[in-house]
Amino acid sequence: MAVRVAEEWLHSCSGCEIAILNIGEPLVELLSKLEFVHIPVLMDNKYFGQLGDKEHLEIPEADVGIVSGGCANEEHKEILEEMRKKCKILIALGTCATHGGLPALINSWGTEAAFDEAFSTTTTDEGAQVPTQGVPKPLDRVYALDEIVDIDLLVPGCPPNPAHIAGAITALLEGKEVQLPTKSVCDTCPTIRKGKGDIKEVKRFTTNAAFDPEKGVEEMQCLLEQGFMCMGPVTAAGCAKRGAPSCISARVPCRGCYGPVLNKGNQMLDMMNALASNGIDFTSVVDRKNLLRFSGAHNKLR
Amino acid sequence: MDSDVKIIAFCCNWCSYAAADLAGISRIQYPCSVRIIRVMCSGMVHPDMILHALNQGADGVMLIGCHLGECHYQDGNYKALARMEILEEILADLGYQKEQLQTTWLSANEPNMLVDAVYDMNERLLELKGTVGK
Repeated sequence: MAVRVAEEWLHSCSGCEIAILNIGEPLVELLSKLEFVHIPVLMDNKYFGQLGDKEHLEIPEADVGIVSGGCANEEHKEILEEMRKKCKILIALGTCATHGGLPALINSWGTEAAFDEAFSTTTTDEGAQVPTQGVPKPLDRVYALDEIVDIDLLVPGCPPNPAHIAGAITALLEGKEVQLPTKSVCDTCPTIRKGKGDIKEVKRFTTNAAFDPEKGVEEMQCLLEQGFMCMGPVTAAGCAKRGAPSCISARVPCRGCYGPVLNKGNQMLDMMNALASNGIDFTSVVDRKNLLRFSGAHNKLR
Repeated sequence: MDSDVKIIAFCCNWCSYAAADLAGISRIQYPCSVRIIRVMCSGMVHPDMILHALNQGADGVMLIGCHLGECHYQDGNYKALARMEILEEILADLGYQKEQLQTTWLSANEPNMLVDAVYDMNERLLELKGTVGK
């Protein structure tokens, strides 16, 4: 019998759903074992019955639920709670779902202040009002899913690595334990590290890193040692699809999109600590709050 | 119990824990609000440990190590200093106040300095608790 899967997207961009499609050929085989009972991005399934005749939001029962995106308004919350009720195993897919992701940047101002800034103008025009009718009420900030309901499996990534999604689904189908990377980006990075450098402050990424385009990334010096703010030490591994971590193989520093290495970690604090213990002047970090750009939920950005 | 604040003090094995020991042997009175955790070096105290203490309900955290330049491991306390400077800077972002942290350097034969530091911290936290109403 096919395993019933429900998929939902909340405060998200559909990148996670595209990552599911990016599983590629193994997906064809997987699909024969899966039955999608609810997946708004692909398939029409009305929340309030096909005729709109139900009073309460309803999602069909499923064995596995996959939710991408954080939780930013009352509707997201309602859908998420319904998903938890109807799914035996609930997976948070993508960094928005696990740690807030980019939308959680709003948490450094709070929803209200940010809306004022975004929807009203400083010109003579009367600013637009945030509607109170007909649209879901925004929550006070953006939440990660595990702040609202219990989540059984966190699969971070922006976007998540298709191999991990396939691996997780396959493991669940076979009743095995799901294996996700537990190391940091640095642990999986092939660049040359010479040990403690002479760097005393971090540069902004306005100049290119020094490297020889003819040679592979394994012959480039570590970007952090070159003085760039590379978040490899404090970011969970997993983005590597062709050997090296994705950003590093494009010769740019890690932005931290897989969230902290340990689930409860704080990327900003850990990165600043990493800089401090290597003798780098922390005042050269101009916008340290930005180090939480992917993990601002859980009350980390405020 | 005269105090309802909790202070976690990370004391390094070589100077400050020995000083705390000496304070005990010398029967110097100090506030019972302090809980001492012995660590091998102040340099091993990761900011996450300090944050964990605060998140778990400690009102204040002290980091006590050897005098700068006298670290048993040569430069451990300089690392600790760099970390604490950053923590003091960041603490507001994390929802705490920098008064909840204290760094003290002392040697093994300065138990009075240790006790004074604990009294200071205790007073400051009581004041903070009174005014902030946390």
